[in-house]
Amino acid sequence: MNVQVADTALETEGEKLRTKVSIKKLAFYYGETRALKDIDLPLYDRKVTAFIGPSGCGKSTLLRVLNRIYEMYPNQRAEGRVMLDGVNILDPKQDVNLLRAKIGMVFQKPTPFPMSIYENIAFGIRLYERLSKDEMDQRVEDALQRAALWKEVKDKLHTSGLGLSGGQQQRLCIARTIAVRPDVILLDEPCSALDPISTAKIEELIDELKSDYTIVIVTHNMQQAARTSDYTAFMYLGELVEFGETRTIFTHPAKQQTQDYITGRFG
Amino acid sequence: MDLYARRRFRSNMVVILSVAAALLGLSWLVMILGTLFFEGLGGLNLAVFAEMTPPPGQDGGLRNAIVGTLLMTSIAVVIGTPIGILAGTYLAEYGRHAKLSMVVRFINDVLLSAPSIVIGLFVYEVMVIHMGHFSAWAGAVALAIIVIPVVLRTTEDMLNLVPNGLREAATALGAPRYFVIRKVAYKAARNGILTGILLAVARISGETAPLLFTALNNQFWSLDLNAPMANLPVVIFQFALSPYEDWRRLAWVGALLITVAILALNIIARLLAGRSRTK
Amino acid sequence: MTDCAMNTSAANTRRTGASRWFAPSDKLFHGLTLSAAVFVLLLLGGVIVALLEGAWPAFAKFGFGFLVSQSWNPVTEQFGALAPISGTLITSFIAMLLGIPISIGIAIFLTEICPMWLRRPIGICIELLAGIPSIIFGIWGLFVFAPFMQRNVQPFLIDTFEDVPILSNLFAGPPYGIGILTASLILTIMVLPFITAVTRDVFETVPPVLKEAAYGLGSTTWEVTRYVVLPYTRVGVVGGIMLGLGRALGETMAVTFVIGNAHRIHASIIGPGTTISATIANEFTEAVGDIYTASLVALGLILFLITFTVLAIARYMLMRLNKRAA
Repeated sequence: MNVQVADTALETEGEKLRTKVSIKKLAFYYGETRALKDIDLPLYDRKVTAFIGPSGCGKSTLLRVLNRIYEMYPNQRAEGRVMLDGVNILDPKQDVNLLRAKIGMVFQKPTPFPMSIYENIAFGIRLYERLSKDEMDQRVEDALQRAALWKEVKDKLHTSGLGLSGGQQQRLCIARTIAVRPDVILLDEPCSALDPISTAKIEELIDELKSDYTIVIVTHNMQQAARTSDYTAFMYLGELVEFGETRTIFTHPAKQQTQDYITGRFG
Repeated sequence: MDLYARRRFRSNMVVILSVAAALLGLSWLVMILGTLFFEGLGGLNLAVFAEMTPPPGQDGGLRNAIVGTLLMTSIAVVIGTPIGILAGTYLAEYGRHAKLSMVVRFINDVLLSAPSIVIGLFVYEVMVIHMGHFSAWAGAVALAIIVIPVVLRTTEDMLNLVPNGLREAATALGAPRYFVIRKVAYKAARNGILTGILLAVARISGETAPLLFTALNNQFWSLDLNAPMANLPVVIFQFALSPYEDWRRLAWVGALLITVAILALNIIARLLAGRSRTK
Repeated sequence: MTDCAMNTSAANTRRTGASRWFAPSDKLFHGLTLSAAVFVLLLLGGVIVALLEGAWPAFAKFGFGFLVSQSWNPVTEQFGALAPISGTLITSFIAMLLGIPISIGIAIFLTEICPMWLRRPIGICIELLAGIPSIIFGIWGLFVFAPFMQRNVQPFLIDTFEDVPILSNLFAGPPYGIGILTASLILTIMVLPFITAVTRDVFETVPPVLKEAAYGLGSTTWEVTRYVVLPYTRVGVVGGIMLGLGRALGETMAVTFVIGNAHRIHASIIGPGTTISATIANEFTEAVGDIYTASLVALGLILFLITFTVLAIARYMLMRLNKRAA
């Protein structure tokens, strides 16, 4: 654990951080109710950022703004700007499908599609690419390799994805997400439905994936945030209370509220 | 203790009456099926499938009526199913929160149990009168109008059972909405929708009233969709009410065939639905 | 492995090409589903308009009198809907009178009394009864049930109530076998599965805790049903009853076989009568002359409006229950 934190420190001193996503003056409404207020936050390239805070603080809502998945439902709207590589993704002219192909998302509950493991992975690839059978086989294998699932499923690629265990299903969902080759991966409490061993595997995976992707993880588990993330944003009642390096947030938080939350005094 | 005894007695009476009611309900099913087999099984032979409906006093079968029913039922399903599925898709997906959906849902429920004879009258008014004659097309359209609400209802119900998480997951991969619906939601709801179609087939293959003045009937072999067409229900109706012994016997055979087919469809549909539920 | 990230700019260009079709395709599919939904609305509108148009000559000629006249004479072309309307209402009324208690009894049996492993098979059998086409009920009613009524039930009723005032009128006349009462009994069997299915489903929405609490206080099965289950599900049960009623009002073939097709109103329910749907089924293809046909279509329109109202009430009731459950 300590080693990892030290690594991060070295990196931040050695290379200049590049901001991948920049959230500016973001507000969010469910109908008349304001769920997010005045959020300003950077997400750094190839770093893991954790959103923490008590339930209802808006951390999942914030995540759902980043790929505009909230637009599936009526009466939900966002105000402000979210810049991805300098482009405002909240712009109505932004193609949401393209956006979502660039910003992948993994959900709290594993959501394998009712089709074979192979088809689960190929689903997203086929949307945007015409590949030969061989190329597709290769892409499916790559994705499963990266999600550390290949060894377990290589002999049953054409059986239903619903037959896997919960932890395997969640890794299948991660494989499915990276198969599309996104720049950013959003993880919405990806381990809350899993047992400790599966959780450890997923956390290991996150650590490996961050060399290639910008990762955001929402979690209610503070140890998990501390273990997996480089940066942490603490949210409370729809506002961003504090953002900084995970090490700093967990050892010397600037705000009393943050201190209270991470020491378990509320939430 | 007296009060308690009275309460027990009253409750026991109700229990006994309930059991009696259930037995009564079951006995009707048994009686009707029993009669059908008793009266119909004797007349069942190959000629029924090989020969045309006869004039009174001669031997014959139900071939033209069976083929006519199969044909019109198939056309009705081909016309009605896509409309029902698409409309059900609107209610459950695109228009889930729209005001229009509430209205359509209500109207569909009304159509679902509207008297089928009124549907027959409607098709008579808009098709038969304008074409100038009865036709298999008119019969098929009348049946299709009965198919639509059944398929619409089950499609909507089954799509509503598809967890939203699946839609979100597919959407988050960059899939546009129509793709999510067609490749994920339909797939997840497939068994249920299939059940709805089977139930719709079961429902229309026994319908008589909407065919009386649309497809009418035809003594002879005809596959011409622009002409009146024989069909089992109307043949059963005419033959059963006729004074001729042979015709009545054929009516019973037809009744047995159609009932067995419909009950089989019902049971298959239920098995299918049961399987998707346990999954 | 790192090629994933290096390829992204190339991937993005490819994606833009593929996604060009997404928005128009989605619009197309959205439009298709929307038009199918609107089509259902138009269908209902079309039914009403077409029937109105077809019935117009009759309404124009007879006016309001059509609804209250009993005459039905194709020769003089005098038509009135009173006999079929009253026949429809009376047969449905008797069917509900008998069908409701039996259906609720079966529902109580299925939810409270029946052993678990038998519930599904018996439930399915009752539902299969709903699957039997109405023409089968008709032919069974004509050849099996009507003779039974003629031989056993009707003579018994006539003899028993011979000296009872009012009832003697209700059960008067020779035992024909077919007639209003026989049709009503067939309808009873036919509505049974519909009311039972809805009632059972709404009974099952009662939270087990409520029932357990009542049983825990020492209540009997009947008391739990009467004071917990029925009050909780009242709206839904009424909705189910209305659904069955809608079915009974519009039922055609079964009634046509056994009602006797007589255009008159009698005090006796043993005698033959007619209903709206039976009249249409029997006479439509043989009707000559515009007024005759129009009068039959007018009957159809009246039937549609009656069932529409009943079904609307049923749906409203069930909707209210669903809202509460949610």
